[in-house]
Amino acid sequence: MVRVKPFTTAAELATFSADHHEMASLAALRQQALAAYPQLPLPTFEKIRYQRWPLFNGNLAPEQAANQTVTSTSMSAPVAPLATTGAADQEPAMIQQLDLQVPRVQLSAEAQAQGVVALDFFQAQREYPELFAKYYGTLAAPALANRLAAFHTAAVNGGLLIYLPAGAKLTAPLTLELTQSGDNGQLYAQHLLLVAGENSEATILATRHTTTAGSASANIVEELILEQGAQLRYTAIDGLKNTTYLARRAYLFADARIDWALGEMNDGDIVTDFNTDLVGNGSQADFKAVAISTGSQFQGITTRLTNYGLHTVANILQHGVILSDATLTFNGVGHIVKGARDSDSQQENRVLMLSRTARGDANPILLIDENDVRAGHAASVGRVNESQMYYLMSRGLSKDLAERLVIRGFLGSVLTEIPVAAARAALTATIERKLIDGQRHRDRAQ
Amino acid sequence: MSVLEVRDLHVRVDDQNEHKEILKGVDLTMKTGEIHAVMGPNGTGKSTLSGTIMGNPRYQVTSGDILLDGVSLLDKPVDERARAGLFLAMQYPAEIVGVTNAEFMRAAINARRPDDDPISVRQFIKELDHNLALLDMSEGMAERYLNQGFSGGEKKRNEILQLLMIKPTFAILDEIDSGLDIDAMKVVAKGVNSMRGAAFGSLIITHYQRLLDYIKPDVVHVMMGGRVVKSGDADLARKLEDEGYTGLRDELGLDIQLTDEN
Ligand SMILES: Nc1ncnc2c1ncn2[C@@H]1O[C@H](COP(=O)(O)OP(=O)(O)OP(=O)(O)O)[C@@H](O)[C@H]1O
Ligand SMILES: [Mg+2]
Repeated sequence: MVRVKPFTTAAELATFSADHHEMASLAALRQQALAAYPQLPLPTFEKIRYQRWPLFNGNLAPEQAANQTVTSTSMSAPVAPLATTGAADQEPAMIQQLDLQVPRVQLSAEAQAQGVVALDFFQAQREYPELFAKYYGTLAAPALANRLAAFHTAAVNGGLLIYLPAGAKLTAPLTLELTQSGDNGQLYAQHLLLVAGENSEATILATRHTTTAGSASANIVEELILEQGAQLRYTAIDGLKNTTYLARRAYLFADARIDWALGEMNDGDIVTDFNTDLVGNGSQADFKAVAISTGSQFQGITTRLTNYGLHTVANILQHGVILSDATLTFNGVGHIVKGARDSDSQQENRVLMLSRTARGDANPILLIDENDVRAGHAASVGRVNESQMYYLMSRGLSKDLAERLVIRGFLGSVLTEIPVAAARAALTATIERKLIDGQRHRDRAQ
Repeated sequence: MSVLEVRDLHVRVDDQNEHKEILKGVDLTMKTGEIHAVMGPNGTGKSTLSGTIMGNPRYQVTSGDILLDGVSLLDKPVDERARAGLFLAMQYPAEIVGVTNAEFMRAAINARRPDDDPISVRQFIKELDHNLALLDMSEGMAERYLNQGFSGGEKKRNEILQLLMIKPTFAILDEIDSGLDIDAMKVVAKGVNSMRGAAFGSLIITHYQRLLDYIKPDVVHVMMGGRVVKSGDADLARKLEDEGYTGLRDELGLDIQLTDEN
């Protein structure tokens, strides 16, 4: 096994915790994780060989910004306005975070009236220690599960808490804009802890974006806990450029429901750990993702839904497109454990390859340990349908445009899930941009 | 005036390891202002001819030529031929999810225009509404995904709608009447007739005299065994209806096996 050198010292980390007035239990957990992670195994994802990727690079604080403290004691420290804030005054609830700085939070009247909390990671520990004690690294994303998880626990240098109190019902979506500079040498170990209280309902529209590619790694963990009866629609469009580990993990209590709609439009190499545990009886998860890999990037996407509770329903649908020499691997894991009677696990994984040198995989993995269940899967790795291309081109559309239209249909399953027109348009535009770039690159190479 | 010429065209399809010659020397010339009809028994190569003219990559031209106004089309891909003025209403149009009919037609119109001069939304909608009304189609059809879940007859009407919107120089209609009820056939014929004029020519492939009652052809060609064996005026189609292909074959002394005789 490769020996891993800890990225920092226990003393440095203790100083970091002190500077951020961290909860004693979290500071101790950090130290424990720092000692443990080099020895822990890397998680394995079928057919995704990421073991040699630079996933442990970067400093706790940004390089150039030595004078600019990241501490959250000064809550008034303004975040540099993001380029994409044009719509801020129309968006009722908006949370923006640049790198790991204190986020800019603008809650709608509705969200405020219902007691919704959105806070900086460190400030939240001071104000809601009981939420951290109960949910942080315990249920959805165990803190020391493997080397990547433990590294995150040791290194986490910023993030957010979002809390929806029991019974809160948000009619308008909550928008998250999370931006990573990418080229400032700072490790991006960002954490999102989202707790949806009993019978709460909300729609989250998250975008993750890297401004400029750089050598520092990203190790992002999102942990979502849905208490009994909570209903969450979670839409995320990821456009990350550095080498990234992205864990997006949910834990569902009885009758909770989560609808995922993800657009993996990253430009860098990424390995994901998308996981939903359907623990409570009658809980449901619907997972839809689309991805486009271009250039020479590698996107390894593993989605695992596990039925633990009775009458649980899990659906996975993943569609992706690969251009040039890029790689895209979809693993869909549907696991029904013994005792999860009357449960359902379905999945569909498909990739289209648009060049001869593209590499793609669509692996459905069904693990069924219970008899009284329904399960099914479909998978394919193919090329763009020739008769569709011929039909569109016979009306004068260029090959590239015809190809983009056929692909748009193929990726449409996630587009139609996105509840807000502006977000749908944003994803359509991102898809268009990625495809045009990829086609240009390919057409030059041929 | 434009001219579309097919000269001594030989075409092969490669089916697994079998090479089959389907067109064995087709000659045909048509000009704008004319409507030509092509008739012929099943499996004789009519769809092969139309697909080859349009540039379907599955057909291999082994000799002969296809010329538009004297310029060979053989080395041009299908989209270039379309932009040069050809249109093919297909026997089996493809279904495409995620792309609406209207959006597709707009893209097709704009593909023929300079990048900086797309058709205005207003103009597009005006023409669309006019043509939908002409073809007795509901406005909802334009917003549905391209051919997705369309009935057989709706697909055929939709091919004609595209024809009216794109306004090509030459349109090949491959069995546009198959599967249509009589009212729908009249509607489709009305659409094609509205295109008639000095700047438009059409090649209509059909099995039935009935369509030609509504769209009167200037020339009728009969294809058999991969060749045009006889051309004539509208009466030829009527004669065929009475005597069938066997009669014509024997009259011409051709040695061709027709699929329905054994
Ligand atoms: N891709 C292909 N592979 C193998 N054979 C083919 C292919 N395309 C056409 N053929 C054969 O070529 C012959 C001519 O077919 P074509 O579709 O052109 O006939 P057609 O005259 O249009 O018939 P119909 O009146 O039934 O539409 C047929 O024997 C058909 O089976
Ligand atoms: Mg045919």
